Amino acid sequence: MASLILPGPHRGIRARLAKTHWPLLILLTLIALAGVITLYSVAEGHWRPWALKHAIRYGFAACLLLGMGLIAIRYWMALAYPIYFAALAALLAVPFIGEVNMGARRWIELGGLQFQPSEAMKIGLVMGLARYYHGLRAEQVSHLLYLIPPALMIGAPVALVFIQPDLGTALLLGATGVIIVFVAGLSWRIGFLGVLGAVGAGYAAYRFDILKEYQIRRITTFLNPDLDPSGQGYHLLQSKIALGSGGLDGKGFMQGTQSQLQFLPEMHTDFIFTIFGEEFGFVGSVGLLMLYLAVILTGLSIATRAKSHFARLTVVGVVATFALYVLINTGMVMGLAPVVGVPLPLVSYGGTVMMTIMAGFGLVMSAYVYRDQDVLKRGDFL
Amino acid sequence: MMNNHDPERQEIVSRRSFLFGGGVCVGVFAIAGRLYQLQIADHEKYRTLAQENQFKRRVLTPLRGDIVDRFGNVLASNRKNFRILLLPEQSQNVNATLDHVSAIVPVPEERRNRIFREIRRRGAFTPIEIDDNLDWEAFSRINYELPHLAGVLPDVGDTRDYPLGSATSFVIGYVGAVTDADLAAQESDGDRNLLRQPGFKVGREGLERTYEKELRGKAGKMNVVINAHGRVIEEVKEGAVPSEQGKPLTLTIDAELQTHAMQVLATPAERQPDEPQSAAAVVMDVVTGDILVLASTPAFNPNDFNVGIDPDLWRELNNSPYKPLLNKALTGEYAPGSTLKIISAIAAQEAGVRPSHTTYCRQRMWYGNRNFHCWKPGGHGTRDMKGAIKDSCNVYFYEIAKTLDIDLLADTARKFGLGEMFELGITGQKPGVVPSREWKRQYYAGQPENQTWFQGETLSAIIGQGAWTATPLQLCVMAARVATGRAVRPRLVRAVGDLILPAPNAPAIDVNPAHLDVVREGMNAVTNEYGTAARSRLEDPDWQLAGKTGSSQVFRITAEERARGLTKQEDLPWARRDHALFVSYMPFENPRYACAVLVEHGIGGSRAAGPKARDIMRKVAERDPSSRQTVDPRELVRTAAANREA
Repeated sequence: MASLILPGPHRGIRARLAKTHWPLLILLTLIALAGVITLYSVAEGHWRPWALKHAIRYGFAACLLLGMGLIAIRYWMALAYPIYFAALAALLAVPFIGEVNMGARRWIELGGLQFQPSEAMKIGLVMGLARYYHGLRAEQVSHLLYLIPPALMIGAPVALVFIQPDLGTALLLGATGVIIVFVAGLSWRIGFLGVLGAVGAGYAAYRFDILKEYQIRRITTFLNPDLDPSGQGYHLLQSKIALGSGGLDGKGFMQGTQSQLQFLPEMHTDFIFTIFGEEFGFVGSVGLLMLYLAVILTGLSIATRAKSHFARLTVVGVVATFALYVLINTGMVMGLAPVVGVPLPLVSYGGTVMMTIMAGFGLVMSAYVYRDQDVLKRGDFL
Repeated sequence: MMNNHDPERQEIVSRRSFLFGGGVCVGVFAIAGRLYQLQIADHEKYRTLAQENQFKRRVLTPLRGDIVDRFGNVLASNRKNFRILLLPEQSQNVNATLDHVSAIVPVPEERRNRIFREIRRRGAFTPIEIDDNLDWEAFSRINYELPHLAGVLPDVGDTRDYPLGSATSFVIGYVGAVTDADLAAQESDGDRNLLRQPGFKVGREGLERTYEKELRGKAGKMNVVINAHGRVIEEVKEGAVPSEQGKPLTLTIDAELQTHAMQVLATPAERQPDEPQSAAAVVMDVVTGDILVLASTPAFNPNDFNVGIDPDLWRELNNSPYKPLLNKALTGEYAPGSTLKIISAIAAQEAGVRPSHTTYCRQRMWYGNRNFHCWKPGGHGTRDMKGAIKDSCNVYFYEIAKTLDIDLLADTARKFGLGEMFELGITGQKPGVVPSREWKRQYYAGQPENQTWFQGETLSAIIGQGAWTATPLQLCVMAARVATGRAVRPRLVRAVGDLILPAPNAPAIDVNPAHLDVVREGMNAVTNEYGTAARSRLEDPDWQLAGKTGSSQVFRITAEERARGLTKQEDLPWARRDHALFVSYMPFENPRYACAVLVEHGIGGSRAAGPKARDIMRKVAERDPSSRQTVDPRELVRTAAANREA
């Protein structure tokens, strides 16, 4: 037990709970509450099938977060590579033992539970990269030789997720990885060349039929919604109508005509922000956005205050994943990003994503509680 | 080696985190800006679009106006029609949906093709009728299967119903599906929109067609809240305009007499029980002109038409030699034959022939270069004018014809309604032919050598043969005018909505009344003094029937046939026999009703047409419809108003 406990003021669970960043948890809870309310409305005023389960899940997830926050950050650092490689192994196993669902092979069964390795990788990649940069001196970050391991660490899971196929998650993983590398201190010159390369790769993928037809259609529809009025573009138009008709203060709780009349697709998952915006208007949707922004900025401030480099980069990685979710999802429902099927964190219905997000914030909490712990005195071992 | 304090890397992370945080802020503000654009700046536009999504204007189809007889008995009305519609835009695959429907209600290939044609024509957003007139069981099964039938909408509509079926088909006509021509003929978009409603029918024939505007009614409208799948969630009562049922049409017809007449016409003659009765009858009130019976057999059933006629039945109706699609009472043109003698007798008197003038009939008379025959073997002997009418002596009239001006005969005939068309609201009416010098000039226009009228032709014309033709309606009018001496005009519609139409004027005909009396005496003798139609006499002294027989020559028996001994009409095939005619009125004193009966290829008026007229007129006498209280059209309008659909 002693190894879990820090000397001095960190001793004892109560003491550590006292150091927990409660405002962050309150912000997350408020966001989850918005989810419960909206899911209740989507079910036409019923707790089932979504709202109640969402609330209960969040309860468990919040406990998970608090629990993870109590565990010292250096233990998480010790688990970083194992978690990363376990997730990678699971991803590799997907093509062989995965379940096919809606044309994509994404799930594997583990002890009776369905489990999505790509979700685990979201945590694994963040921890793995943070662990890697933890062992690097500042001047080594932009050294080409030291760029090869992170390139492989990012590239391998991205490629595996891409072939599942799950373009949205692949892009999300790639972007998160790039943000960590950037925050770790990558030189602007290399960063610029990297962006150039990514654009080239994207064009090549489009050009040489690497993308599935529906993926190309999503992008072309995004670029020109009028091409496909009854398919993707139709959903986008209906989503814009819902948001726009919400106006300043919304149509009111459970009064959204677009949602109640089922003009919107995937109302309990991908398009939930639309429902919220229709019923609570500009005030409500911007309020929700501000809650998200508050979480992100709180997270970043935690990152800057942590003593260990692993903690800092882990927090940045978690926050980056979270921020990307929010920006892509909200952008998608109002026509600023392609409809790629990214949920709105803590609001969209779905257990796996909620657990991933809350586990990530568990790490953030650990980084905060143990912000003064400098793991480096144990020696650098890389 | 790194030191505990890691200021350099902390510095980088802080700086870059700040940059990243700034980037996120930019992103969030871009999203918020977009929200501002959608929710504040363009709010009005999207609010309208959401309302358009939410509310759909639904056209409320009006009920078609009823058609009733003079006593208010329903001849055409509406009944509930269980049907299934298809909204193509909501069906992923129309063929698959129809396959699924086929498991419950068969959708034959022909109908499937029609559905695809209509989808092309009306677009994917208008419901299209898959099938109608389903029984309750099939309709409930469709409703039960509905979750698996994307785009299928069950619907309870209204369809036209003709309770008397074929008995009134020629009067009322029928309704049919809307054609492109109908759509093009509409004056307003509202009308076009109404006609595009699934299963909407317009009048195709008869009064249904003529009074389409009045019968159709006014469309209503109502907003309904529909969901994305087209299902109606709520009907918005506020601002809804109910539809208005079309105006009721009150006819002059007496439904009971009409039905009776149809039965009488269809009953085969005693002597030829196997012969189908292709016949027509018209009964009218000689005072008002009200048509009480307008019958033609065989007749089609209009109920077969308004649900989309079976192609086999249609072929059968079209190919039948008894012409069940033809309204013989108005569109059949037949030589009036001896029934014209009542006109000839008037014309002769107008020309100065006295009724006491006699002629001796030896059955034939030589004129020009040929023999003109009378029907009675051995001849009639001496006959005066009344006797010539009573016994229908041809020679008596041939004798007159030698000097009679054909134009006088024609003018007289026209005064009595021959050659005239009467506006009844039924299409296809024929004018018939009244031969005259002018007629012949026009008929042979461009052949001057054939335009000269020969007096020999007057001999044929005076007994109603030759070029003469008339419809049973005209013959009935002729009898009515002879009976009253007034230019009675027939009518079929008593009231449109609550507007009671006045009886048409019936001015006195410009002939000497004494001349008419001679003819009336002759007609009375035909039935009541052992004339040609003695067996058609009515026994009731209050209802003495006066009449005149006639037969309308279809083919002349050739000399070669005569040589083979083929002189009797009975020996000819049905289609070559003469038509039988009978015109009559009653009571002889103070006439009230006139009747004309035609039996196609019935050979003789006396044997085939007279008895039918007698049976019909006996029933007329029994009912005396003109003395009965008629229905008040305002009452009908009140009932229709109660049928407004909210």
